Amino acid sequence: MENILLKDKVAGLDGYFAAGGYKPLKKALGMTPADLIEEVKKSGLRGRGGAGFPTGLKWSFIPKDGQGPRYIVCNADEGEPGTFKDREVILKNPHALIEGMAIAGYAIGASRGYIYIRGEFAAEARLLEEAIADARGRGLIGANLLGSGFDFELSVHRGAGAYICGEETALLESLEGFKGQPRLKPPFPAVKGLFASPTVINNVETLAAVPTIIEKGGAWYAAIGTPKSAGTKLFCVSGPVNKPGVYELPLGVAFRELLEKHCGGLKEGKKLKAVIPGGSSVPVLTAAEAMAVALDYEALAAAGSMLGSGAVIIIDETQCMVKLLQVLARFYHHESCGQCTPCREGCGWIEKILDRLEEGRGSAADIDLLCSVADGMKGRTICPLADAMAMPVLSFVKKFRAEFEAHAAGRCCPPEPAGKH
Amino acid sequence: MAFTLTNEFKAKADKLRAGYPRPDAALIPLLQELQKDRGFMAEEAMDALAAYLGLPYARVKAVVTFYTMFNRAPVGKYHLQVCRNISCHMAGAPGLLARLREKLAIEEGETTKDGLFTLSSVECLGACGAAPVMQVNEDYFEKLDEKKLDDLLEDMRHGRLRGMAR
Amino acid sequence: MPKITIDGKTLEVAKGTTVLTAAQQLGVHIPRYCYHPKLSISGNCRMCLVEVEKAPKLMTACSTEAADGMVVHTATDKVKAARRDVLEFLLINHPLDCPICDQAGECGLQDYYMDYSRAKSRFAQADKVRREKRRVMGPHLVLDNERCILCTRCVRFCSEVTKTSELEVMERADHSFIDAKEGRALDNDYSLNIADICPVGAWTSRDFRFKQRVWFLKKTPGVCLGCATGCLTEIHHNEGVIYRIMPRPNADTNTWLCDPGRMAYKAAQAGDRLKKGVIKNGLIDLEPALREAASRIDEHHEAAAVLGSPWLSVEDNAALARFAKDGLKTKNYSFDFDPEQGIKDGILINKDPAPNAAGARKVKAAAGGLSFKELSAKVASGEIKVLVAEARAAGLLKEELKAGGARLIVFAMNRSEIPAGAYATLPYASYFETPGTFINFQGLERRTEPTAAAAEGVKPLWAVIGKLSAYSGGSLRLESAQDALKGI
Repeated sequence: MENILLKDKVAGLDGYFAAGGYKPLKKALGMTPADLIEEVKKSGLRGRGGAGFPTGLKWSFIPKDGQGPRYIVCNADEGEPGTFKDREVILKNPHALIEGMAIAGYAIGASRGYIYIRGEFAAEARLLEEAIADARGRGLIGANLLGSGFDFELSVHRGAGAYICGEETALLESLEGFKGQPRLKPPFPAVKGLFASPTVINNVETLAAVPTIIEKGGAWYAAIGTPKSAGTKLFCVSGPVNKPGVYELPLGVAFRELLEKHCGGLKEGKKLKAVIPGGSSVPVLTAAEAMAVALDYEALAAAGSMLGSGAVIIIDETQCMVKLLQVLARFYHHESCGQCTPCREGCGWIEKILDRLEEGRGSAADIDLLCSVADGMKGRTICPLADAMAMPVLSFVKKFRAEFEAHAAGRCCPPEPAGKH
Repeated sequence: MAFTLTNEFKAKADKLRAGYPRPDAALIPLLQELQKDRGFMAEEAMDALAAYLGLPYARVKAVVTFYTMFNRAPVGKYHLQVCRNISCHMAGAPGLLARLREKLAIEEGETTKDGLFTLSSVECLGACGAAPVMQVNEDYFEKLDEKKLDDLLEDMRHGRLRGMAR
Repeated sequence: MPKITIDGKTLEVAKGTTVLTAAQQLGVHIPRYCYHPKLSISGNCRMCLVEVEKAPKLMTACSTEAADGMVVHTATDKVKAARRDVLEFLLINHPLDCPICDQAGECGLQDYYMDYSRAKSRFAQADKVRREKRRVMGPHLVLDNERCILCTRCVRFCSEVTKTSELEVMERADHSFIDAKEGRALDNDYSLNIADICPVGAWTSRDFRFKQRVWFLKKTPGVCLGCATGCLTEIHHNEGVIYRIMPRPNADTNTWLCDPGRMAYKAAQAGDRLKKGVIKNGLIDLEPALREAASRIDEHHEAAAVLGSPWLSVEDNAALARFAKDGLKTKNYSFDFDPEQGIKDGILINKDPAPNAAGARKVKAAAGGLSFKELSAKVASGEIKVLVAEARAAGLLKEELKAGGARLIVFAMNRSEIPAGAYATLPYASYFETPGTFINFQGLERRTEPTAAAAEGVKPLWAVIGKLSAYSGGSLRLESAQDALKGI
């Protein structure tokens, strides 16, 4: 199967043109917005940021009539631990994103787009700005795209260091110059989003898939992957494998195939212990569960986890699960926006309990307390950050309880990674 | 001494503000621009920017304290930001951090006496496939090991890292 | 109009009504911290989570709009567990200050803990996040960030009501805290409302701190006499001492109360409060002072004048009118006050600093008299030899009195009120000590109720006038405020 998103020699505008780039935009501008949305619906494309919401349906929520501006916003605030796919798209195929945004803008009637990119991606932001300037030079961004009468302005907005801005309403707050604190929903962004106007927010990978869908048709795209999980997905594999990196594969690919065929298996013949299949927020799978699972929305849900952002974190037998959970707890504690009580107070509490356990100061009661605190946070906050803390806690303890008990008894389980301070 | 915004900054600011239907949406880009001058956000700088934008000071301060990339104290010429999240952790980030602490004789959050290095640990930098990763100012250094780290430090000490933006 | 069922009771509500408000209408209390009826919805505290049938998760009642056919449960196990958990999260980093906290007794944490939790602490005292305590934030407030539950009511109050935006939540996660600009006082005219709306002891009033345990306070409805707005208040007092004035929210006039209005009680309890008479700057007993004042009035019966006052109640103005008409039988009196009125700051403070210009005009309507201008001219020309007036109203004729040289006999509550050059000053009871009727700028009649007894010998103004009349040999007798109102 040929790649849709990750291709060679398309980073520059000339290369992108040579590969047929911006023809889909021309085609799209000749269609009605309603037909465009229908085509994307038909493709079965689902949001690649983590939630997996059907993209065409999301676009269709924008009110059909009504005055005033609408916005298309790209979420390039890639920050979910384990995730590094959007950066790859930006570096290797920036025009697919730009073209996808122009098409999406036309489909929802938005003449203004913003790419919200995490602040740390300075080089990537500059690269995108250059690519937008190149596109503008050829009339692909700006007034009257390709003579169609449709105007589309696009610019890059850098964040400043806050994981929570990957949540779409926090992103909008940040883009408006505020702290990135998620908004209450309703109203949903499709009705009241950026600057109180109807807005669609899509992930980089989602938008970059749009030109090909328009070019080859929704049905063509829907034929890739599984019936409910259509298309290709970027899997970013990190951890002790021989060839970590981003792999574009059809949804539904077996985890075993990804690990063994594409990533060359574990380093130095180490044994697999666990896999976090969709970024650090999703429940962990044991080695046995992972080796039996297919990587798509439904199969992973059935296995008790989630596809999330497609960030596959490989954990080998030398790793201590208590330590890793402590690392994650420190992260969520650091990133909680502080708005909702359960998340603000709970993340810090969980970190403190894990500190105790990790340092051998904990007790068996702490293990139950950990789960009880996580339960108290789940499903009770404005955004999913509290759940993103609770899910790893509950799954780590459930599946690797023995390691937590060993810690509670004062014994440290597998040796620390080299250089532990 | 009162902090004043330069005319050059104001010109840039006006350009940035034009990119948004509400000018205060440019607050974060403007703060980033302002930080370029001094390397950190002084209260006076926030105050001057708040006055220039007609925003309450508290809002500007709240934004500065919410986002981690705004430095609230001066940083060294090279701001070493070592990722400590899960993939980098498994790839040896704690060892890299320990080595940096030892070689630079500073703790996280501190700056060497010569003003050359500030050491920080940061959360996921989004380059987990190339773990362990360190960001120095705005540039990423990937797949680090002890040797690479030592060489990098030497290069920085002798000014051999070219074109690095602050 | 959507029909909503809450805990089995069905109600039709206006479109846009939230579940929380609908529940309130049904008499179902849903606990909350961040919600305030006069502030925007924040939804951050998560205390008001309720179960909505068909919703996958618990919903915040404060932000969820009632929809037709919606079925809500507020007392299921799921809801109770959520409340217990949220309370636990709020309390883990909250200090154990209750014994020395002014909020104790009216604290949202204490109340809801008793109502919904009563759980034992599972959090180590040593693990508590420490924050800054006892920080003076302007003339009226102290901030204790350790007690703060980050509900952001104060932040929203300053941005939405006073529009001064002094406050914000800084930082994030459990190390976030409320802060203002370094070196800038939180001194907007409404700052004490922040102490009221703070559901915990984070914001306390510098004036009230450590003065009285709230459960000892008695509450009497009152009216603010700080300006023509005439806000309804609640006076908190114990054993004859007033400790604080709080707003008594009402749809007509006020939800809030301004800081100067809250401090108005201070004058009534100040050290320079008059209990005796003052003749030519010298304190003497009240009876001889009254006799001396009466004699000076008698000297110039026809050339005596009486001025009403927009600072006095309708009853006391009426007493003054009767003193002029039926006691002195002079035509030289005026109850003509018609200042520009209206809210001047968009919130509560009135352009007219006096509380009862309309009440004085009501007396004028019944008793007639000179216009204020006519009386001024007579005072200035020297035609008037003695002027009887309330101290602040006398201040309106300062220049005229100087020019015409009339002898001034004033009624004052505090020594600091006495105008320069007053010949005789007679004390009277404040409206914290005696009832009085006031008419605000909207024409609403409001009555004060006494909360404390006046010092021995200090009488309501109508009674002082009654005595003055008796001593000056007239036939007018005033035995009650009702007597004063006769014919008015």
